[in-house]
Amino acid sequence: MEIFVVVVLVLMVLVAVVILQRRGRPRQDDGMNTFRRHIDALSPEARRESIDRARRHDEGKR
Amino acid sequence: MARDLAIDLGTANTLVYMKGKGIVLNEPSVIALNRQTGEVLATGREAWQMIGRTPGYIVAVRPLRGGAITDFEITERMIRLLLQRVGVSRFTRPKVVICVPSAITEVERRAVTDAARRAGAADAQLIEQPMAAAIGADLPIDEPIGNMVIDIGGGTSETAVISLGGIVALEAVRVGSFDIDAAIQSYVRREHGIAVGERTAEEVKVAIGSAEAGPDENQAEVRGRDLMTGLPKTVLLTAEEIRVAIDDVVSSITASVVRCLSKAPPELAQDFLVRGMYLVGGGGLLRGLAQRIERETQVPVKMSNVPLEAVVLGAGHCIEHYDALKSMFMGARR
Repeated sequence: MEIFVVVVLVLMVLVAVVILQRRGRPRQDDGMNTFRRHIDALSPEARRESIDRARRHDEGKR
Repeated sequence: MARDLAIDLGTANTLVYMKGKGIVLNEPSVIALNRQTGEVLATGREAWQMIGRTPGYIVAVRPLRGGAITDFEITERMIRLLLQRVGVSRFTRPKVVICVPSAITEVERRAVTDAARRAGAADAQLIEQPMAAAIGADLPIDEPIGNMVIDIGGGTSETAVISLGGIVALEAVRVGSFDIDAAIQSYVRREHGIAVGERTAEEVKVAIGSAEAGPDENQAEVRGRDLMTGLPKTVLLTAEEIRVAIDDVVSSITASVVRCLSKAPPELAQDFLVRGMYLVGGGGLLRGLAQRIERETQVPVKMSNVPLEAVVLGAGHCIEHYDALKSMFMGARR
């Protein structure tokens, strides 16, 4: 009985360690997603919003 | 809740972009102080009008030279006043993105971020001026093609090759349009024996300054103080002699553009021949400069539609898309 409890505890600890390690490790597609977001934020469409907003504000001041 | 800000802290002018609004401030980077009490008397345009015209107890200074802070305390006070003018208070602390020359040292970077934090920013991030200029000038930097931008400011001139959202090659010199003004001052003193102030030298540059001979060249009448007699004196300057006077400065700017071109990978270099280079910054407005660079590099040079605002518009875009673009900030890449 005691051996069974020890084995179960060891298994639980091992599972917890594996889960924690997986969480800590960056996912392979993280870099790709960040880079894609970076490039998308620099696209002409994304920039058009900022430039148009600045222009609207300038026109509003005149 | 304060709106986040982007600041183009230039040697000549400071521009502020407010998130969701646009450019809310555009003033000369000048502060006037009472020498005796240390009180700030004026900032921006009002202080600029005082340069060279103040009584002994007032001093009107530019706290940045060559794109770097020369007086930390005065710069901090100037930033604090600028932030107050756009609505930042002790209780509303915005995130701030500040454009700085790419060539600044670690110590200078820290001076800028510390000055902004102490002036009321919750967080201060830095971005290289040519990167911000390329974003603001609407160049297709999200594509895998070579984009070249030349940013000529008051104290620095920077050339960068940008592709896929990052800087590929960079060249910076601590020479800018203030050095052109200084060259004019020293020429007039040496050749005509009169002393003129920096504002007068700037007016001469705007009126007849050029980097390349043009079709219609004018003359300018300049008033200054005769170095021999101490009396006011007027002399007539030609565009030709001013061109010769500023040639050393213009040559060092064009040489830095050539160095940057030679650093660019060959795959991108062919893009420049087709797409050309883009000129931004107040110094880029010097007559004939685009033609001179074009002649010396054999690459077409185009003027940006927003030469004076490109840098702050680019930094403003970074503040609008802060999370997506934070990897571009100078601290993030170290």
